[in-house]
Amino acid sequence: MSIDWITVGAQIANFLVLVWLLKRFLYRPILDGIDAREAEIAERMGEAGQIRAEAEAREAEYRAEIAALSASRADVLAAARLDAEAERAELLQKAREAARAEEAERLKERERAAQEMRAGLERDGAAAILALTRKALADLADETLERRIVERGAERLRTASGDLAGAAEGGAAITAISREALPPETREAVQAAVTDLVPDAALRFDVDPAMSPGLRLTLGATEIEWTVESYLSQLDATLDTLAEEMRDAS
Amino acid sequence: MQLTPDDTILFTLAGVAINATIVNTWVIMALLTGIAAIVTRNLKPDVPPNRWRTALEVTVGGIVDQIAEITGNRDPRILYFVGTLFLFIVTANLLTVVPGFDTPTASLSTTVALALAVLVAVPLFGIGNRGFAGYLRSYIEPSPIMLPFNIIGEVSRGVSLAIRLYGNIMSGAVIAAILLAIAPFFFPVLMNMLGLLTGVIQAYIFAILATVYISSATATPPPGESVPRKDSA
Repeated sequence: MSIDWITVGAQIANFLVLVWLLKRFLYRPILDGIDAREAEIAERMGEAGQIRAEAEAREAEYRAEIAALSASRADVLAAARLDAEAERAELLQKAREAARAEEAERLKERERAAQEMRAGLERDGAAAILALTRKALADLADETLERRIVERGAERLRTASGDLAGAAEGGAAITAISREALPPETREAVQAAVTDLVPDAALRFDVDPAMSPGLRLTLGATEIEWTVESYLSQLDATLDTLAEEMRDAS
Repeated sequence: MQLTPDDTILFTLAGVAINATIVNTWVIMALLTGIAAIVTRNLKPDVPPNRWRTALEVTVGGIVDQIAEITGNRDPRILYFVGTLFLFIVTANLLTVVPGFDTPTASLSTTVALALAVLVAVPLFGIGNRGFAGYLRSYIEPSPIMLPFNIIGEVSRGVSLAIRLYGNIMSGAVIAAILLAIAPFFFPVLMNMLGLLTGVIQAYIFAILATVYISSATATPPPGESVPRKDSA
C-alpha cells in the first residue's frame, strides 16, 4: 500500500477535467433540457388554462344561447298552440254555423216539401172530395155540387142578412162570384134570396176560376162566402195536426 | 499479486511513466463523456425524450434531489463536483467485473486524489459561501479551544474517505483474486456480484459524505448560534 504522488496529481487533474467534461456534456444539457421542458410545460399549461377558460366562456355562451333558443322555442310553441286553438275554435264555429245553416236549410226544405205535399194533399183531397161529392150528388140526387152550394148559400143568406143589409145602405151593387157560371135557375134563386134580404140592391154575377166551388157575395168591404174553402181549411188543420203528431213521434 | 494498478506501467510519456490507473481513468472519462455527449447531442425541448435521455435525466435528477435534501439548496456547483465524484467512482467500481480491467479506485493514489479534491473543495465552497473570515471562524467554534481538534478532524476525514474507498474496492478485488485461485467456479461470481453492490454503496457513501462536508462548510449559522461541524461517519 503505497501512494504514487505523481499518479495522485494526475488523478486530481483527470478528476478536474472530468468535472469540466461532464459539466459541458452532461449536467448543463440535461439541466437546461429539464428547465426548457418545464418552461414549455408551464407555457403549455398556461395556454391550456387560457384555452380552457376560453372554452368555458364559449360553453357558457352556448349554454345561454341554447337556453334562449329553448325559451323562444317554448314561446313559439305556445304561440303556435294558441293559434291552432284559435284556428280550431274558428273552424269549429264555422262548421257549427255551416251545420246550423245546413240544418236550417234542410228544415226549410223539409217544411217547403211538407207545405208542397200538404198543398198537393189539400188540392188532391179537395179535388177528390169534390169529385166524390159531385159523383154522390149526381148519382144519388141528380144535383150538381155548385148548384147545391149556391142554393144552400142562398138559404143561409137570411141568417147573415144583418151584415149585408147594413153594408147595402150605401147603395152599392152586390156581386155574386162563383167559380163557374151559374145556371139560370140558380141565378134566380140567388136573385130571389138577395132581393128578399135587400129589396133595392142590384145584383151582378161574376166568375172567378181561382176560387173554390161555392158562392161569394161582396158588397163594398163586406164579404159573405159559402165555399169548399172553409172545409179545406179544416182539412188543412187536420193535416197540420197529423204532421205535428208525426214529428213528435219521430 | 499486485495490490494496486499503480505498479502496472503501460508506457512512458515525456519521461513520465503512465500506469494502468491513469489509463483506466482516461477510459472511464472517455466512456462517461462519450455516453453523455451522444445522448445529449440532439437535446431540444420539442424533441421527445428517448430512454437514454430519460435515464440520464433520472440519474442527474436523483443526484440533484439528494444534494438538495442534504444541503437545502440546488447549487449547480455542488452538483458538478459531487455528481462527478459519484459517477466516476460508481463507474470505476462497476467496471471491476470486466476481466483484465484494473479499476482506478483500487488504487490508493486515486482515492487519495479524490479525498484531496474533497479536502480542498470543502474550504473553497465554505469560503465562497460564507467568506474567508466566516469560514475560518468555523474552526474556533464553539470555542477557540476546539481549533486543533477541528483541524485534526478536517484532515482525518479526508484520510478516512481515501482509506475507506481504497480498502473496500481493493479488498474486493483481492478477495475475488484469491477465491479465483482457490475455487475457480461460482464463488468468484458471487463475490463479484457482492463487489458490484459494495462498489455502488461505496460510491454513494463517498458522494454523500462529500456533500455533508460541503453542506457543513457552506451552512450560514443564525445570529448568535454556531454550526456544529459534521465529521465522517
